[in-house]
Amino acid sequence: MTTAELLDLADEAPETLRAFYEERGWGDGLPLVAPTPARVDAMLTSIGSADPDEVVATLPPRFGMATRRLIAVNAVLAGCGPEHLPVLVAAVRALGQPQLNLRGVNATTHPVAPLLVVHGDVAERAGYNAGLGAFGPGNRANATTGRAVRLILLHIAGAVPGPGDASTQGGPAKYAYCVAENQAATPWESYPTSVGVESPSAVTMHCGEAPHNVHDMESEHPARILDKCASAMATLGQNNAPIAQGEYFVALCPEHAATAAAHGWTRRDIAAYLFETARLPARVLRRAFERLAWEPWMHEVDDDALLPMTGHPDNIRVFVCGGPGKHSSLIPSWGMTKSVTLPVDT
Amino acid sequence: MKIYAPDGAIGRLMLSLAPSPPLLTGLRIGVLDNGKPNARELMVRAAEQLASRTGARITLVTDKGSGHNAATPCSDEVLGQLVEEVDVVITGSAD
Repeated sequence: MTTAELLDLADEAPETLRAFYEERGWGDGLPLVAPTPARVDAMLTSIGSADPDEVVATLPPRFGMATRRLIAVNAVLAGCGPEHLPVLVAAVRALGQPQLNLRGVNATTHPVAPLLVVHGDVAERAGYNAGLGAFGPGNRANATTGRAVRLILLHIAGAVPGPGDASTQGGPAKYAYCVAENQAATPWESYPTSVGVESPSAVTMHCGEAPHNVHDMESEHPARILDKCASAMATLGQNNAPIAQGEYFVALCPEHAATAAAHGWTRRDIAAYLFETARLPARVLRRAFERLAWEPWMHEVDDDALLPMTGHPDNIRVFVCGGPGKHSSLIPSWGMTKSVTLPVDT
Repeated sequence: MKIYAPDGAIGRLMLSLAPSPPLLTGLRIGVLDNGKPNARELMVRAAEQLASRTGARITLVTDKGSGHNAATPCSDEVLGQLVEEVDVVITGSAD
């Protein structure tokens, strides 16, 4: 017995499939690929002898059991190829880690979406875009894998707007949110290595906002570039402001990363600089928020003290992404969540 | 033709609310502040109204426990305290 139920569909016309899914409250509003047994079996060939009906994670709020077969069903629906399935399996495993707090991520009124970052060999082999326009359209791997994550959240986790996803306005990142790390243009060790994950291929999940652009076309010193990133961080309009455990992901473009490296700056130097520079007076934060999920020491400072926008420099995570040009991105957190990096079994 | 359903089985039973007691007279009311703005004020006021109308009494007002907040589940310690010390619980103010 498999973990996915077989249903009768009159024919494979896109209109028939769309109507069939809509009747049952399934789908993301876009056209779908029919998950026939033949297509799902073909999808599963990429995971070798791994048990297709083993539960990879149980996903709240529905507490649906995400087996490899069900992940494959949603991968087919999204338009993935078999080469993308190992990435999705690792992504689902990451979604199930307690520190990611998927129940809160799905339940909140915030527009948070899990950002999937693909690292290493699998990014290149399976065609993920780490370069020009990586966050945008035009690449099958990024588009369909990101979309499959959302379909898994809708179908298996039950994160349906209303009963399972209370996001006040939703957000475009909830359709598809997947990029690859541009390791070839990274002047440091890979991101997974920087967080202690040694694997040829890996994924990172960070539950945050959509990317906020940080533009600097003229600076020859990293501090002047990062001052703009710090300015984007030091705002009351993000959950990081009242929640000290929240992370920031900084997606540096290759040219900004190269400027930093040319001055001998490491990832830790960048995180430390942003921690020291992105600050607001305690008075401003206290005036704006009655409830402050701060580190204990942050409550002790006087009103004139400049407080960092996150509780520790390690909460500022840096990876390289994108192509030519001088635009980087800041991705604030939902807050009550921690990013997860896991190996991909290929 | 056949296609797969995309949702699969549920891994653990969804919890439902316990049935309401037929009478509140003499029962102990607990207020569990779920960490949302003004939740405690709103729910304590509701509990006071309920108590005055029914003859129940408020015996415990608590938050979810140290380190827990609106985005995380209640601590096991506080849940245990509620089970031990009250008969009905008011909780769940939203944004």
